[in-house]
Amino acid sequence: MRAGPLLDIQHVTYSYPVPERPQAENPAIPVLRDLSLQIQEGEYVVLLGHNGSGKSTLARLCNGLLLPDSGRVLVDGHDTSDAKQLRRIRESVGMVFQNPDNQLIATVVEDDVAWGLAVRGWPRSAIKERVDAAMAAVGIAGLSHLPPSRLSGGQRQRVALAGIVALRPRCIITDEATSMLDPLSRQEITGLLHQLHQEQNLTLIQITHLLEEAALAQRVVVMSEGQVVLDGPPAMIFRNLPLLHALKLEIPEPLLLAERLRQSGLPISPDVVTLSAIAEELVP
Amino acid sequence: MSDPIIEVHQLSHIYQTGATYKAALMDIDLEVARGSCVALIGVTGSGKTTLIQHFNGLLRPTTGTVLVDGIDVGANNADLRALRQRVGMLFQFPETQLFERTVYADVAFGPQRMKLGRHEVRARVIAALEMVGLPHREFAWRSPLDLSGGQKRRVALAGVLAMSPSILILDEPTVGLDAEARAEFYAYLHHVRQTQGTTIILVTHDMTEVALLAEQLFVLADGRLVLQGTPRHVFTQVDQLHEWGLAAPPLHQLLLLLRKRGLALPPALFTFEEVFTALVSIPCGLEKNVNPASSHRE
Repeated sequence: MRAGPLLDIQHVTYSYPVPERPQAENPAIPVLRDLSLQIQEGEYVVLLGHNGSGKSTLARLCNGLLLPDSGRVLVDGHDTSDAKQLRRIRESVGMVFQNPDNQLIATVVEDDVAWGLAVRGWPRSAIKERVDAAMAAVGIAGLSHLPPSRLSGGQRQRVALAGIVALRPRCIITDEATSMLDPLSRQEITGLLHQLHQEQNLTLIQITHLLEEAALAQRVVVMSEGQVVLDGPPAMIFRNLPLLHALKLEIPEPLLLAERLRQSGLPISPDVVTLSAIAEELVP
Repeated sequence: MSDPIIEVHQLSHIYQTGATYKAALMDIDLEVARGSCVALIGVTGSGKTTLIQHFNGLLRPTTGTVLVDGIDVGANNADLRALRQRVGMLFQFPETQLFERTVYADVAFGPQRMKLGRHEVRARVIAALEMVGLPHREFAWRSPLDLSGGQKRRVALAGVLAMSPSILILDEPTVGLDAEARAEFYAYLHHVRQTQGTTIILVTHDMTEVALLAEQLFVLADGRLVLQGTPRHVFTQVDQLHEWGLAAPPLHQLLLLLRKRGLALPPALFTFEEVFTALVSIPCGLEKNVNPASSHRE
């Protein structure tokens, strides 16, 4: 096999079609502008950006839900504009969206997780094995016979995630998958994604506008106005709080606090980004 | 409380599905002061939605009473039409409910259903759009679909405000908005409260939002009201909140971590400035840090 990046986004530009009006009167504004980004197999990347910065559009280009106006997107070397490869591409790159209710369709949890395998014509025994493994991996093994409507939001999001995990993709993209959840479920899902990445060597792209979710990632990519404006490890990204603020990202108060204390002369390393690390720096 | 706009006494609500009964709310007692901003917090399934559905008569109490602006919601002859004009509700992701071709038509929908005259409707739409920072000259004739996420949500808010409610209930109003759109939304909400005297009830998971806006918090867990008080009071109980599946704002979680590591901090720290002042003035716990190795790390 080739040793190139798993996702290779090359100079893509994309604008949503504006059907009703003539182009001259309302020229389409590109959502992505000459954007290039390479993601290697096994990376854990958090994609940050304010509303309308283009992050969700970029995600939809990564598994061929949308095709670029110019430039190209290669998934493991296959061009997403090649219809013959689309099935293979979508098996490699799975997506989890903001609202699990838009993604859950079956009447009991188990069937929902099995759905993706069933439509691909997998044999029953193999489906059972994969579904059980996926449900165990996301911690919902005991819920298999419940209807999704009886579950909490965090549990439903786990079901949606299990449905994707069961397909064993090489890469999972979560698009604001925690934004409808309460803070504890949010921390749980983020922790779970982190764990899946570690245990299964999964490539993970987590899209969020919450800075605190970026602390666990290996790499943070910040988008604004359809372009990548920052790209690096969390500690490097979090060093420039004024810039993040200018990019309309909300800075968690503990980070602001650490920054203020640093300015007042306390020797807090600029590399600490998680709550526990800040606490350790303050009280060693 | 001198002038409560909502009074709930011994409210219980039991859902029946087939032969099974489930108590969604148990023995709730609470009062909301007229013109105040309060927040209901609790995990999914704790009863928040069931409770607010009693405030506009979508549900009636199984036992107990709910008085909203003088209307007894449980009474057989309760005037639900009047109630729903006084209690405006903004549901989660309200922008998905925008359906008209223009912003004007969307905001006018509610007042038109109230059978108001054409001029009154127009005056209310214009006022409501101004209130949420979407001047009608610029926005009234645009399609709601052409607006940004934050603007769409403010159109939905204007649609509720145009009905001149005395109580405004907002269910997760800023979920999915970025920091800037969120701050704008708060600013307009504050403005509405200042100019209209509207009572505001927030239902939210966002503790930072709660700390910023609400004067009084009601914490629900498993259908019971387990804690009420000012944000300052509620957020110091970090461990207890955890037990109910809730997380305090990040700043208060950090305080808990520091205390667990043995740092003696005053008990009632709440605002960012208070925390900052407390930490810079306690050099003893931090002095250990000052060694040549760590100060050269940058």
